[in-house]
Amino acid sequence: MKKTVQALSLLLFSALFILATYRLPDWLPADIYLRIDPLLGINAVLASREIIARVLWSLLLVGATLAVGRFFCAYVCPLGAAIDGLDFLFFRKIKRPGLKSDSRLRRWKYFLLIVIVVAALTGVSLVYFLDPIAFLTRFYTFVLHPLAIVVLNLLLDLIRPISRGLGWVGLAHLHYPQPVYYMTAVTLAIFGTVIALGHLAPRFWCRTLCPLGALLSLLSPLGVFKRRVSEACNRCMACRKGCPMGAIDEDPLKTRSPECIQCRACARICPEKAISFPAAFSGIGEYSRLDITRRGFVASLAGGLSFGFVALQTPFTLLEGKRQLIRPPGTLPETEFLRTCIRCGECMKSCVTNTLQPCFWESGMAGLWTPKLEPRMAACEPNCNVCGKVCPTQAIRSLSLDEKTHARIGTAVIRKENCLVWAQNKMCLICDEICPYNAIVFRPIDGYRRPVVIASRCNGCGYCEQRCPVKGESAIVVVTDGEIRLKEGSYIAEAKKLNLEFKPDPGDDKFVIEESGFKVDPERQEEKRPPADKPALQKPKGFL
Amino acid sequence: MIDHKQGISRRQFLKATAAGVAVGLAGDPSWLCAVEQVDLAVISGEPAAATRKALETIGGISRFVKKGQRVVIKPNMSFAKTPDFAASTHPQVVVAVARACLEAGAGEVLVLDHTLQRAELCLERTGIRDACRNVPGVHVLAMQDRKFFQEIRVPQGKVLERVEVLKDILDSVLISVPVAKSHSATGVSLGLKGLMGLIWDRESFHFRFNINQGIADLATVIKPQLTILDATRAMVSGGPGGPGDVKKPNLIVAGIDPVAVDSYGVGIVPWYGRNFNGRQVEHLSIAHQRGLGKIDVEKLKIVKGTA
Repeated sequence: MKKTVQALSLLLFSALFILATYRLPDWLPADIYLRIDPLLGINAVLASREIIARVLWSLLLVGATLAVGRFFCAYVCPLGAAIDGLDFLFFRKIKRPGLKSDSRLRRWKYFLLIVIVVAALTGVSLVYFLDPIAFLTRFYTFVLHPLAIVVLNLLLDLIRPISRGLGWVGLAHLHYPQPVYYMTAVTLAIFGTVIALGHLAPRFWCRTLCPLGALLSLLSPLGVFKRRVSEACNRCMACRKGCPMGAIDEDPLKTRSPECIQCRACARICPEKAISFPAAFSGIGEYSRLDITRRGFVASLAGGLSFGFVALQTPFTLLEGKRQLIRPPGTLPETEFLRTCIRCGECMKSCVTNTLQPCFWESGMAGLWTPKLEPRMAACEPNCNVCGKVCPTQAIRSLSLDEKTHARIGTAVIRKENCLVWAQNKMCLICDEICPYNAIVFRPIDGYRRPVVIASRCNGCGYCEQRCPVKGESAIVVVTDGEIRLKEGSYIAEAKKLNLEFKPDPGDDKFVIEESGFKVDPERQEEKRPPADKPALQKPKGFL
Repeated sequence: MIDHKQGISRRQFLKATAAGVAVGLAGDPSWLCAVEQVDLAVISGEPAAATRKALETIGGISRFVKKGQRVVIKPNMSFAKTPDFAASTHPQVVVAVARACLEAGAGEVLVLDHTLQRAELCLERTGIRDACRNVPGVHVLAMQDRKFFQEIRVPQGKVLERVEVLKDILDSVLISVPVAKSHSATGVSLGLKGLMGLIWDRESFHFRFNINQGIADLATVIKPQLTILDATRAMVSGGPGGPGDVKKPNLIVAGIDPVAVDSYGVGIVPWYGRNFNGRQVEHLSIAHQRGLGKIDVEKLKIVKGTA
């Protein structure tokens, strides 16, 4: 039963992950696993000092844990399911000696929980690093999804001759665009480490490191189902050996109840059928002493505080002050954003053009894995607003398409020394051609028609930077100057206030000859260059 | 440096193909007497009806499509914009052509373009995939990977020596179905410019050499059997991606000679607020000079009608 539920949960998690694309319907919360995670919720709320509506979903899991106990880890947690599955694959035949210092090691998850919460109180988001749901989503985004596409395309290539021969036209032409990300190697290394730790003991992660497990175990004493051992027990210790969480005491009649995830492995193993999990309602619950030492508690407090201190110190804040990062449209102001973002990678997975990339050290320790735009690689698509839709903590606000169009992320700037037209008098107008908002126009300057950015029409989408044919660094780049980042309120109203006008609509553009192109033949142009102050009326480009 | 041995074999191949086609056409004289002399069909009306009428006027699609043949239809769907932007071919025009091909016995119809924006978005936004969804035998595909392209030589190329074209057009009947729109580099983007959607490296046309010369080179190797210009809407400025000024000429222009179709298309509306003729469009003028088609509209036999 447990395995089926686990598999279904992992499947649901994967399905929702796959569905997180620009076509995600508004009613479908693809980020639901992240929303119900109270650890992420508490920390985002503490760090940002705001109540976040989506976080209220986590009350579901809090309530369920209070009522039932720490069942989440055994039945729902997709990382738990992945660990169990991979454990079966890799370590099934390995003899694990059992951990000598098990009881000391398992305190670590409480220490980590304290560190994370204290860091959140200082305004530093640390929860993302160890929260299982954010962790697994990140692994899916940066490793599994790209890998799946590689494999899928290889398979499609393999069967392509067959599909062509059989006349399956769609299949013969099918090819999935390959997503690529900066942090794939780092993410894979960390995930690999977590799985490899299973070599020491089953669910090593869950019993010793997982801070969500720690939080849920603190909520679990009131739960209805408790392990009970009957008189029939002959102390064969099979249950103690078989417990994946190491939750059974030296005395097999006793249970370390915060560790018990109700997987009922012990009940299945017991040769005497002496173990059961009856529903028993007790008013005050069963508490067993949490053996975190005073020293450990103080040390983790100090750890959290120093993390908060270090992460907010220079040079990181200086880098942040330079504001080199183009954040997704609708992102909260930088400080609030860094506090709220849980680095799950859902926005980057769902981004239709793959322009959203994880930061490494660009905004310092406080900004690891946060999303940024990489316009040279791809632009922000005008018809897509999925990044906000899937953000579980609303660090990127969920905006309507119209609002998103006005959530300006930066402004394009022409680097004249690199520009083919400005620097070499060549004919090039790709930036003008591709701009969805007509923000680039050509004006006669020094006898040539040269591209100029009309800043009030540019919302920083980055199509120009992506398409610029100059090799290497683009001759037109999006800078953060002019970005609009609002904690609340309408971007449309703000853009109106600033006299900005982003018009992706047809039929209202009165572009005439003056702005449509430049002289065809540069040599002819050279001979009779019109005076710069009074340029002759020129034909649009392409006409003789 | 052009490899002459191979060049000759290609020419022989082309000649043989041309001869084969000629023999094939001559063996089927039903159309010869009736419609041979019609250069262009210009039909005004709703997109679907006008397209059907235009095909009828030009002599029926069965002139070009034989039983069991594979047809590639090349519309404009490079930009993820809805049809009212006039950056893409009207879905109803594409469907009408596709249906006609199937009625003429085409084995399958591929609607192909190498899109500039994300393939998925282009297929969805232009409405072309949705329109073709319920027509069995029609596949709307956007090609964004190099493996679907194959390099061919351009024996008569002035600036292009070789070019990578979509494999599917090499053994199919090609029907070009461009939308009428302005273009910031080539003045207008009609049939000939639209052929750039069938090649892999579109960018180099813009900065490596004169794009107008490149388009003419391309027209020497990619020869659509039929060009159907969708001028139901025309983006007369701000092209090719838009947004731009959209006019509604409500016309479909069909013809075999791609230069003639384009040349007529230039005269339909003023571009950038000014009237032009085909000879004033650099790439059309070059193509005409190189013997790829007729450019003077006055000398064409044009049949006009209303659907």
